This record gives sequence, structure tokens and C-alpha cells, in this order.
Amino acid sequence: MAEKMELNEIEVWDGNQAAAQALRQAQVDVVAAYPITPSTPIVEGYGAFVANGYIDGEFVMVESEHAAMSGCVGAAAAGGRVATATSSQGFMLMIEVLYQASGMRLPIVLNVVNRAIASPLNVRGDHGDMYAGRDSGWIQLDAFNAQEAYDMNLCAFKISEDINVRLPVMVHQDGFTTSHTAQNVRPLSDDEAYAFIGDYKPVDEMLDFSKAVTYGAQTEEDWHFEHKAKQHRALMDSYVVIDRVFEEFEKKTGRKYRRLESYMMDDAEVAIVALGATVETCILAAKELREQEGLKAGVVAPRSIRPFPFNEIREVLANVKAVAALDHSVSMGAMGMLYNEIAGAMLSAQERPLLTNFIYGLGGRDFAVDEAKRIFREQKGHADVGYITTEIQQFSGLRGPKLGFYEMKRS
Amino acid sequence: MIEIRWHSRAGQGAVTGAKGLGNVVARTGKEVQAFALYGSAKRGAAMRAYNRIDDDPIINHEKYMNPDYVLVIDPALAFTDNITEHEKDSTKYIITSHMDKSELIAQIPALQDKKDRVFVVDCIGISMDTIGRAIPNTPMLGALMKISGMFELDFFLDSMKRVLAKFPQKIIDANMEAITRAYNEVK
Amino acid sequence: MKGVLATDRRGMRELGAEEMVGWDEVTQGVVLPSFDQAIGNAAFLKPEERPYSDFSSYTATVASWRVIRPVYNRDICIDCQNCWVWCPDASIISRDKQMLGIDYDHCKGCGVCVEVCPTNPKSLLMFAETETIEEALAKWPEKKKKEK
Repeated sequence: MAEKMELNEIEVWDGNQAAAQALRQAQVDVVAAYPITPSTPIVEGYGAFVANGYIDGEFVMVESEHAAMSGCVGAAAAGGRVATATSSQGFMLMIEVLYQASGMRLPIVLNVVNRAIASPLNVRGDHGDMYAGRDSGWIQLDAFNAQEAYDMNLCAFKISEDINVRLPVMVHQDGFTTSHTAQNVRPLSDDEAYAFIGDYKPVDEMLDFSKAVTYGAQTEEDWHFEHKAKQHRALMDSYVVIDRVFEEFEKKTGRKYRRLESYMMDDAEVAIVALGATVETCILAAKELREQEGLKAGVVAPRSIRPFPFNEIREVLANVKAVAALDHSVSMGAMGMLYNEIAGAMLSAQERPLLTNFIYGLGGRDFAVDEAKRIFREQKGHADVGYITTEIQQFSGLRGPKLGFYEMKRS
Repeated sequence: MIEIRWHSRAGQGAVTGAKGLGNVVARTGKEVQAFALYGSAKRGAAMRAYNRIDDDPIINHEKYMNPDYVLVIDPALAFTDNITEHEKDSTKYIITSHMDKSELIAQIPALQDKKDRVFVVDCIGISMDTIGRAIPNTPMLGALMKISGMFELDFFLDSMKRVLAKFPQKIIDANMEAITRAYNEVK
Repeated sequence: MKGVLATDRRGMRELGAEEMVGWDEVTQGVVLPSFDQAIGNAAFLKPEERPYSDFSSYTATVASWRVIRPVYNRDICIDCQNCWVWCPDASIISRDKQMLGIDYDHCKGCGVCVEVCPTNPKSLLMFAETETIEEALAKWPEKKKKEK
């Protein structure tokens, strides 16, 4: 039996420590990992917990991230609770196997500590890796701070392993901004946390020798489409379980999560949609603008990036006049991912806000409260005149001549 | 909200110091934040660590800061780093140096007009005497307690003992002595 | 040879030969069961004794890929098991280290078994798919003399 750890009611953990502690409390059977900055302390923490007797599990050292995710796929198919962590270049190397994991419907929890992608090489946080994973068939949950990195990990196992989901889950947190920033974290006790997640319930496990199965079959045009459609349906439908797990989590902890988080949106005239720690910085900006300037600003943030909260976006932005979608990664040659997803959702809504796009914070560039305020005010400007007065895609915090793309078509 | 900026070299313990301070403060019911800014740093590279302390949960994640306290734990950085960057009229400076206060201020033009807000303590010397290594982070926390009046010395020592609980008793004792000396010696 | 092959169930899964179900009926994660029922001792059962499901390639045939096939001559074979070891498609049927014949439902006619056969003349030789076993056996060559 693994030893229990006595935790304080309030711990000061950074996002990595919080995630590692969640892996310990989940009693993950196998972590196959190839550590990379800034996610290293998560798997390092798991390894230390195993070595010190706090987990009955196996830390498998491998020779690359491709092998790390392959090890996770094997262990999950064998019938174990499996997790790992990665970032940036490591995530990119994992991508081929990410699709294998989701296609085989294997519940794996992957902590993605978001970091920019080379070239040029950069260790700091942006959402390049998160965006590269968005078609991989994984559920993607986003944590905005260390507490949420802990909470989302606990929820991730429960969602992923649910018999009606059986899909792998990524838990995202911002490299350094969340992963290396220590804040107050209120953990559950070991017993409470484990009871919340529950025992692992294997499905089609390869280690059941009475019931031999094949994983990773080949299908051509005769079967492939049906299998992918079934998988897509499972991911689309997983919102039911995500909502239920968030509800159970609220009952246990009082901390309420929703697939689409919204703040001060009841009467909001302008809004920012963002992901990651930026969400909280924008909330602070919106609060100050409401107090100091009477500007009715609100913030919207997908907690669940996949499945994308299409309906919830339409509802929450229904009466907003101008919205800025803040993308922490540049989708080269197109508008940002958040902009496109929101535009797609709002196109079928009765009322559409004026929607602009900001690319910000690439390679970890600071995003300040004052800049969030400026963006809110600019949205107010669009709302007042009834059209987008700037270019539709702009860049926040970029040096050099002003860069922007496309203008609103007006008759 | 109290904001603190540490100027340090990678390896001197600014991150540990900032997290240790966060740990102690969190035990009093306050909300804390501790983070650092460094590149792909080697030991010895100049770096900065930060603390935010507030009664409400801290949701500001910008790196920009107008610090209430600037803690310089490497003597040379007082000369080479821009320690007064983004300062307020009330920003207080605690600087590690073997020099006395007037001697130090005389050599740093940026501090000329803020003599009342500059405090000096020899954290390196104290840590060499007590811990036996140049780890100026814990003595700096002792000096900060004195200058800020954040906590009584005894309460702080008690809390730090718990933060350092995983270390051997000898090291804990040496750190307690270092904190106490810096608390008493900062001027 | 009768009963060693699951011939009567073969052909089910050849492209187009079965009912194609929709996305709602395909298995989750493309996980395919090897057997129709749970068995605890598959490793100790001979293949013909295992309840293979239609999803197992054991119940499918790839015989149509072949244009030439190995024919086996029991009279010469020394049961060395070389062909059983080397066959890339597990198509040499051997029981208790005795060679029984070739699984023509899975053999693709690569000829490796003939290549590795050590007897003189060989106990396995390739013949056209159109020739019967009897015709092939009638044409079997004599022992070759060593050339000086």
C-alpha cells in the first residue's frame, strides 16, 4: 500500500506541483515520460512520489515523447490508470500517437504545460502546442491558475475513465505563468481526492487473457469513416459527463466549473474571450473598468476547448455589442483559432457582436492589465459607432510598425 | 496588495525565498503569489523573482510590477541591475552589502534621492557565518520582516521552521540564526 | 488435415462479403475481440480449438493473393521444423513437432519454406496454383547427386 501524505488546508504550490500532487492522489499506475521544460516537475514529482513510497506505480523512462505517449497507449490498453506531461517540442513529437490514443478510446491524462514552438526556440508560455492538439480527438480542459491545474487533473481522470466517454484528456496550464507561479492551493485530502475519482474501471483491457482483443486495427475506406464518426460523436457527447463531473466536484469542494466560464457577462456590452492565465488578468481589467469608468466589460473563457462549447458561446455573447477574441498563438495564414471558433458559432446566432481578433503574448511576452483595458475600450469604440474601426486581426504587444489584417465590409 | 521584487543571481535562492515567504504568508490566511523571471538561465545569471500578497485571491498574472519592496540579495546587482525600475514614491529597498548605508548610497546614483527608503544588511556575510554557504535568501526575509513589520520575528521564525521542516535540524537552526541576525542588523 | 483449418467459417470478412454496419454499431476504439466467448486458456489450445471470432484474421482468407503455392511431400520431410520457424504468415501446420501441411487460407506463396527446406530433394516445392496436389507430387524430382 502506498503511504498517505498529510496536506495542509492551504498549500502554496505552483501549477506543476499541483498537477503532480493530483497524479499522486489519483494513484496513477503508469507514467511514461520524457521530461521537457516547463512541464518537467510534474513527471519528476510523480517519479519522486513513486520512489518515496507514496504511489504504487511505475515511472517508465523512454527515449522520446513519441515513445512516452506510445508507452502510455500500451499501458492504458493493458488496463491501467495512465498519465504523463509534456510541452512544446515534446508535444509536437507526441502528436502522431495522440491520435492513436484517442482513436483507440484510451483514457489517458496528459498535462500540457503550454509553451511556444520553435523556430525560434523559446521555453516560455504561449498556446502553440495547445492549438496543435485541437484536432487530435482529445478532450482539452484549460486551467487558469495552480488551483485549477489541481482541480482539472482530478476531474480529468473521472471524465476520461467514464464508461460513456473513454477518451483521453489534456489538462492545459500556461508555462511559467501558471506552472512556475506558486499560489494558494486548497487540496482535498488523499482519501477524499481518491474517492472523488474512484477506482479505475478497465474496458477491453489487454491484460484480461480470457478475452483477447486487437488494438490498432487497420481500416480502409470500408470502415475508417464510421469509426472516426463514432469517435467524433463520443467527443461531442462527452459534455454531458464533463458537466456532471464538474457538478460533483462543486458538491465536494464548493469550486464551480463550467465548460464555458463567464465573468460579469450578465449586462456586459463588450467582452474579451481568452484562454489560460490571461483570463484572470482580463477579469481584473474588467472589474477595474467597471469601477473606474462604468464600462460594462465581461470576460468569457472556454474551460473545455474540446468539446468546444458552441451553444454556450452563442448564448453568452447573444447581447454583447463587441467582442475581442484573444489568441495566445498565431494560426499562421489565418485568423486565430478562438476568433474562428467564435465566428463559426455566432454566424448561426440571431444577434452577432462585432468580432475582432488579437494575437498576443507569443513566446511568453507579458500581457498586462492595462493592455486588457485598452482592448476593452477599443471594443467600446466599435460598439458606439456600430462597426469595426480597426483592422479585424491585430497584434498586442508587438514591436515595429502596426501589423493588422482585413477590415470590415460596409455598404 | 503588497508587491515585492527580488533581484538575484540564479542559484542564490530568490525563487526558494519567494516561495518560502509565500508559504509563511499563506499560513496567516492571506493569498500569495510567487514567481520568477529568467531565461534558459545558468547559475549566476541575473534574474528576478516576485511576490504578490493580498487579502483576496490574486488574479493578476502580468509580470509588470510597481513593487512596494525591492530585495537585492546579490551585492553586485545593486550596481549593475536597474533596481529602481517601475518604482513608486514609497518603494523600499533592502540591499545586501558589506558596506554601510551611506557608503553604498554614495556609489549608486539612482538611490541618491531616496535615502530614507534604502536599507542595508550583509546577507552574504550573515549566511556565510551561520549556514556556511552564500545563500542570502533567508537572512533577506529576516530583514524584510523588520523593515515591513509584516510579522513579529518569533512568529516568522516559527513559520519558517515548518517551511524548512524537510531539512536536517542543523540547517534549520542555522537558518533561524541567519534570519534573527538579519532582523537585528538591517539598517 | 480435416478439422485443422477453420475453412467452413472462412470468407466472412473478405471485402464486401458481409453486412457493413454503420458508425453507431462499430466497436468502440476499433477494439476487435479475437474470440466469440471468454476463454482463459487460449495459449494452451491449438488454433483449431479456439473459438475465433469473425474479427480474427484466422477466420479470413488471403488465398486469392497467391499465384504459386508450396506443395508438401510427406515422404521426404524429416520434421526439422525449419519451414514452421521461417514462415512469415504462420501457415505451416505442425503439431507435436510433426509437419502436417500448409494452411492454404493464409499462405501467400512467398516460397520462404521451400528456400529453407534442408532435404534432398526438397520436401516443399512451389507449383502453379492451377496444378493439383496429385499432379505436383507426381512431378517430384529425384535426389540430386553431389557434383564433384
